[in-house]
Amino acid sequence: MGSRVEILNQGGFRSDGRRQFELRDMTIDLSQQGQADGAAVVTHGLTQVMVSVFGPREAKMRSQTIHDRANINVEVNIAAFSTGERRKRTRGDKRILELAATIKSTFEPVVQTNLYPRSQIDVYVQVLQQDGGLLQACVNATTLALVNAGIPLLDFVCAVTGGVHSTSPLLDLTLLEENDLPNVTVAMMPKTGKVTLVTMETRLHVDRFEEIFRLAGDASKVIHGEMKTAVRSRTSALVAAMGSGPRVGGGDSADKHGDDRMNEY
Amino acid sequence: MVASSPSAYPHLSSSALDDLQADLTILLHQTLSHRSLHPKNLGILPTKKSWLLNLDVLVLSDAGNILDALFMASRAALWDTRVPRTRGVEYKARPRKAAEDTTAQGGRGDMDVDEDTQSGFDTRTIHKATDFELPDYWDEGEPLDGRAQWPVSVTLNLEHPIHFLDATAQEEAATPLRLLLAFSFPSSASPVMQAMRMLGPGEPAPSHLKELVKAGEQYAREISTALISKLKEEDIRRYQKAREIFELHR
Repeated sequence: MGSRVEILNQGGFRSDGRRQFELRDMTIDLSQQGQADGAAVVTHGLTQVMVSVFGPREAKMRSQTIHDRANINVEVNIAAFSTGERRKRTRGDKRILELAATIKSTFEPVVQTNLYPRSQIDVYVQVLQQDGGLLQACVNATTLALVNAGIPLLDFVCAVTGGVHSTSPLLDLTLLEENDLPNVTVAMMPKTGKVTLVTMETRLHVDRFEEIFRLAGDASKVIHGEMKTAVRSRTSALVAAMGSGPRVGGGDSADKHGDDRMNEY
Repeated sequence: MVASSPSAYPHLSSSALDDLQADLTILLHQTLSHRSLHPKNLGILPTKKSWLLNLDVLVLSDAGNILDALFMASRAALWDTRVPRTRGVEYKARPRKAAEDTTAQGGRGDMDVDEDTQSGFDTRTIHKATDFELPDYWDEGEPLDGRAQWPVSVTLNLEHPIHFLDATAQEEAATPLRLLLAFSFPSSASPVMQAMRMLGPGEPAPSHLKELVKAGEQYAREISTALISKLKEEDIRRYQKAREIFELHR
């Protein structure tokens, strides 16, 4: 297709026309999927991931239950058509297992599992399309699916990838950029600023790390904003559909629009 | 190849899920890969190279009648498939005389290039074509041959003496006996039954089966016509309307 594609050209544009710190187009779909208790389809540019959550429910295997907490079970399934070349991955593929284990350890401290002892929360991740930022999309979609399922969390978990091209940091990398640059995925809880996931598989100079880490933290706040908007609009649609719901306490006349106002979390 | 997201069958263990996937794959594969349905424009170089067609179906959720949905989805996807146009290419050693470099066919020295042909299958002029190239990288190609004759399936749930279609999950659980019929309706010939399978316990009488097959053909014909008109509508929406809008803005 011609000469090598430039990661960041002189005008400050990347290979897909974005600027250095510009995130990809993000869409969130919280509509119900099958019999799942909660589901979310998240796309970051061309990367599309669907997560369904079942639970908390009775564990399928008694041996996996924990006496004082819920057990989080994450299963990842990558569609054979998700990448440019069709590749069928077996269920026991190490990369997939690692991805599932990473997601599980990201959410263990966030989900309030102590409220549901001896039960199981099943998270099924289905990857539909891949164009870089897979872990990021999986974490964001899992957060939204858990929220959609009504499972109590300490906070949202928002993830974003970052990389460094010679000395310039970039955010939200596509597959092309991920293959070429050292990149790190950071997942953060926006209210407290606590980081629940940092992973990097490439080599990055220590001096560059702080800058990209800080930037990724800021970017996840932006993603948090998007998620909140999506959850709010979905919830208000549901409330309207349920017919304004029960009035709590003595409503004054100003409360007529009460079902449009959402409580600030 | 049928894969299923575990969210579609939350009550199944992973090994049961694998078994189910294998069952559905076999059903779909055996019906669709039959030689009578083989599209004719998948060949690139006769007896040497041809395109491989991979069909992947992903089940996201199952609320009953999954087989009919599988066949319908496969049919729609195959309708949409395009085969890239290719040109036969032959590598020859550079001829001695420089004057003979530019051959009558506009060859560029090393390569003996075929005339621009409409169908990748037409490589009659070069008998020794050993490789092929894509003359236009961005060209999506021509539609897959035989796209109106992929089979459509109808699942008749048998509850003697009646039968019903399009069962929900609960209806399927209550009526274990099912008859799957797949019909193909080629435009020039009479309808062909591509597959017949009975699933579940039960012993319907052969005369009863005959009427069911006849009824099944009727239903399948209606489904097929409806599906084709929907797909044609989508074709129009995508290509013609897009073209009109493009013309408008030029």
